[in-house]
Amino acid sequence: MNGLLARARSLWRGLLRPGRLAADMEEEMRFHVEMEAERLARERGLPPAEARRQAAVAFGGIENHKEQGRDARGLTWIHGLSLDLRLGLRMLVKYPGLAGVGVLGMAVAIGFGAGLFSFVAAVVDPALPLDEGHRIVAVQNLDAARNDQARETQLHDLAAWREGLRAVEELGAYRTVDRNLLTPDGRAEPLRIAEMSASGFRVARVPPLLGRWLVDEDERPGAPPVVVVGYDVWQRRFAGDPGVVGRTLRLGNDVHTVVGVMPEGFAFPVNNRLWAPLRLDPLVFERGEAPPIDVFGRLAPGATLEQAQAQLEILGRRTAAAHPDTHRHVRPRVLPYARSFIDAPELAWALYLVQLLGSLLLGVIAVNVAILVYARTAARAGEIAVRLALGAGRARVVAQLFAEALVLSLAAAAVGLVGAGVWARQANAYMDRMAGEQVPFWWKIALSGNTVAYVVGLAVLGAVIVGVIPALKATGPRVQSTLRALGGGTGMRMGRTWTFLVVAQVAAAVAILPPTTALAWQELFPAGAAAPDFDAEGIFTAGLGMDRETPPGAEAERYEREFAARLAARQAELAARVEAEPGVAAATYVGGVTGGVIEVEGPRPGAESTRHGVRYLEVDPGVFDAFGAAFLAGRVFRPEDLAGAPTAVVVNRSFAEQVLGGAALGRRFRYVRAEDGALPGGTEAGAWYEVVGVVEDFPVELPYRWEGVGTLYHPAAPGRLDPATLVVRTRGVAPEGFAARLREVTTALDPTLRLGEVRSVSHQQREEARTRRLLTLGILVAVLSVVLLSAAGIHALMSFTVAQRRREIGIRMALGAHPRRLLASVFARALRQLGAGAALGGLLGSAAIAGGEDGAGQAAGLLLAVAALMLTVGMLAALGPARRGLRIQPMEALRED
Amino acid sequence: MAESAELLPGTLDLLILKSVSLGRLHGYGVLLRIEQITGGALQVQQGALYPALYRLEHQGLIESEWGVSDNNRRAKFYRLTAAGRKRLGEEVAGWNRLADAIALALRTTPREI
Repeated sequence: MNGLLARARSLWRGLLRPGRLAADMEEEMRFHVEMEAERLARERGLPPAEARRQAAVAFGGIENHKEQGRDARGLTWIHGLSLDLRLGLRMLVKYPGLAGVGVLGMAVAIGFGAGLFSFVAAVVDPALPLDEGHRIVAVQNLDAARNDQARETQLHDLAAWREGLRAVEELGAYRTVDRNLLTPDGRAEPLRIAEMSASGFRVARVPPLLGRWLVDEDERPGAPPVVVVGYDVWQRRFAGDPGVVGRTLRLGNDVHTVVGVMPEGFAFPVNNRLWAPLRLDPLVFERGEAPPIDVFGRLAPGATLEQAQAQLEILGRRTAAAHPDTHRHVRPRVLPYARSFIDAPELAWALYLVQLLGSLLLGVIAVNVAILVYARTAARAGEIAVRLALGAGRARVVAQLFAEALVLSLAAAAVGLVGAGVWARQANAYMDRMAGEQVPFWWKIALSGNTVAYVVGLAVLGAVIVGVIPALKATGPRVQSTLRALGGGTGMRMGRTWTFLVVAQVAAAVAILPPTTALAWQELFPAGAAAPDFDAEGIFTAGLGMDRETPPGAEAERYEREFAARLAARQAELAARVEAEPGVAAATYVGGVTGGVIEVEGPRPGAESTRHGVRYLEVDPGVFDAFGAAFLAGRVFRPEDLAGAPTAVVVNRSFAEQVLGGAALGRRFRYVRAEDGALPGGTEAGAWYEVVGVVEDFPVELPYRWEGVGTLYHPAAPGRLDPATLVVRTRGVAPEGFAARLREVTTALDPTLRLGEVRSVSHQQREEARTRRLLTLGILVAVLSVVLLSAAGIHALMSFTVAQRRREIGIRMALGAHPRRLLASVFARALRQLGAGAALGGLLGSAAIAGGEDGAGQAAGLLLAVAALMLTVGMLAALGPARRGLRIQPMEALRED
Repeated sequence: MAESAELLPGTLDLLILKSVSLGRLHGYGVLLRIEQITGGALQVQQGALYPALYRLEHQGLIESEWGVSDNNRRAKFYRLTAAGRKRLGEEVAGWNRLADAIALALRTTPREI
């Protein structure tokens, strides 16, 4: 071990300061020669000049000894490597086609691997970007009776843990509530607020930009209501006012004073921009009836996660013994905070597997590049044979070819890394746009040092495949015969291998590309039924919620009743007021789309029932009218459908056709499974629903893949939809102004009504089209790089095999053969190879396409196109060398022997 | 001068380690010391000494520092490290075993077989 360290140190010194090392050795050896000269002069009485001469002769060549000295330090091979790398760079420039194709192909593979790696790392091993973030922990309850599922944590748990959990300090909790934020300028905006213990700020250790954090005193009942705002709320809603501390804002009906501003990027505990004190009093709630909270803390100095867990288990057993009715099966656990949102070991394995498979893509592409490189290496067989004959070790030649490949793959890695970086930025932005406040702030895909290391690893792996394997083949025992054949200029003779490679290459390209592309295409552009003429212009949607309190025990029931009544009234009033606005044709509500499994009664008595996966939602009866959806059969919902637990259902055309086989009216079904547990309309389990109408397909959950997707519509009584989506159909209003107006109307009606982002359906359709275009572009680039790579591979193989016949062509010319017949013979052979490949690929590809369901037509067309492309490329590749063969002077061809 | 003998392969390292173990020396001093302790019987090819020194230093058996020689010249001095001392012990033991075995073999007479 010590020896290893010393070696590394000495190697490092030699690498770091090669000039200094050389100068040292030089000085040391000169000293030696001079001492020896002095001795000779002293002992033998030689004149100084002669003594120096004899000493120098006895010593031998200083340069030679220095070289040996460098060798002794293991430096020689490194100098050789840097020379090889320079050579490799020169090769890239010399063969730009090969370099371009190789770099592009490998860059796609490496970029893909890097993206996958950073994604997996972000999910599996997230890190909290806070001071000593790895010591911030979450404390949760698991339910041992229900397969260790997470169970609610409540105030009473927190109180018990605070008392007994010594290994964790600053133990605190938060819950998120949705509130309407209103600033003095009158604008309203729904926001997810963190009601958080003051200790949360101490745990996060991020000082405020202005004012102060929340403090424990703020949590006292009756303390003045205060909030801390985040950077962008401060900028957006207070225009960055430096005197914002002391100003007020409203959350729903309540006025709060701003006491501090947090710096940009601070979003603890989830992804929050506004913090209010957590003022839940455990004393007013019964055990088990308090609202759920999430608990966090920071490991005490010196304490470990294991110690914390051990203490927690003792506390858990104590609580279970004291309150068996609620806590008998509850097992508390402590875990790193960053993992508290997803912590599924089995998921990690699945992701690692995906990553491994993704890395295999590089293997496939690298093998292709290796074929290209091999064709070139074979062309350099003469050079390699001469170098080996002159005494270069096999390892030395292989190392050179490896270094050349390494230059290629490192260039690809750089390009791939940049690509992955761009993708990561896009993906983060997309996640922000789509999920916003719900996604934890540390879930960011980032290209870390680990990613770079992984990419370098991939590059080296690629270089091994691309460089070393062809090199080993090219420097194998065959080389002896190559050297003998060198004069003859025939190069390597490996007809069968080349034929096989050509056939395999063409077959792979033809077989794999079309089905893959067709598959991707179907994912992006599902065929489905022809989209009906749906007019998306002028339809706007926005989420609508109402601020909800959590009153303790006895008051809760009454509060819920009042809340439902108030919500119903507000929704009806809002719809009426919106419809009164100029340009508005209709306003209505829909609920969220859910999935489930239904059992459909047979069409005739005695016929067997069938099960289907469905998507369904609850809607206000006015929705069909608002969307202008035409009824194909049956009727719209009537008021009596809403009474009690409604069982009437309207289905869309696709559902009627796909599930019910057309005759839908009067058919009955019941839910076997509903994804969110509760059945639509609040009916009891096992209740039968009846289809009363069939409506043309129209988008509800916007707007991805709505054409041709079967959907069930259940009627919702007023006030039942919470949260609801407000749908407004307009004629000729400007989107920007209308969104603002909608917000004004809503806030004026009730400041606790939260209107989400107002989106226009057509705008969303355009957004989605853009996303699809981007995705398509990505797939296109990937496919194109593979096509290019294949074409280049076929080109290289063809020109190489034909070039091998150059001499034969020349001799036949000399013997009087007609050029046309010669060309025909060359092309016939090329065509045979290419044709065999295309046929084989076509067969495999057709089998793959036949396995799939739709899109066979396009895939077959694509298959023909790719086959034609490969044939053309191959024939063109054969053309150049064949013509060069024809131009060769017969005498020259004969002389070559 | 005594009759000089060829250096057996691998023995140069041993001789260098031994020389340096007797006190810190510069390269030329190592050469002189070897001549001295072998009674001039072993001739070291002068230039070959340095690659051997660098190799031993690279292996962490000796270490070097710049200093001033007896005649006030700047020179690089070598010293045995702990690892070098251990290695020297092993090499000496090994060498002695070999020498004893060879000597024993060479003393053997027909009667002893």
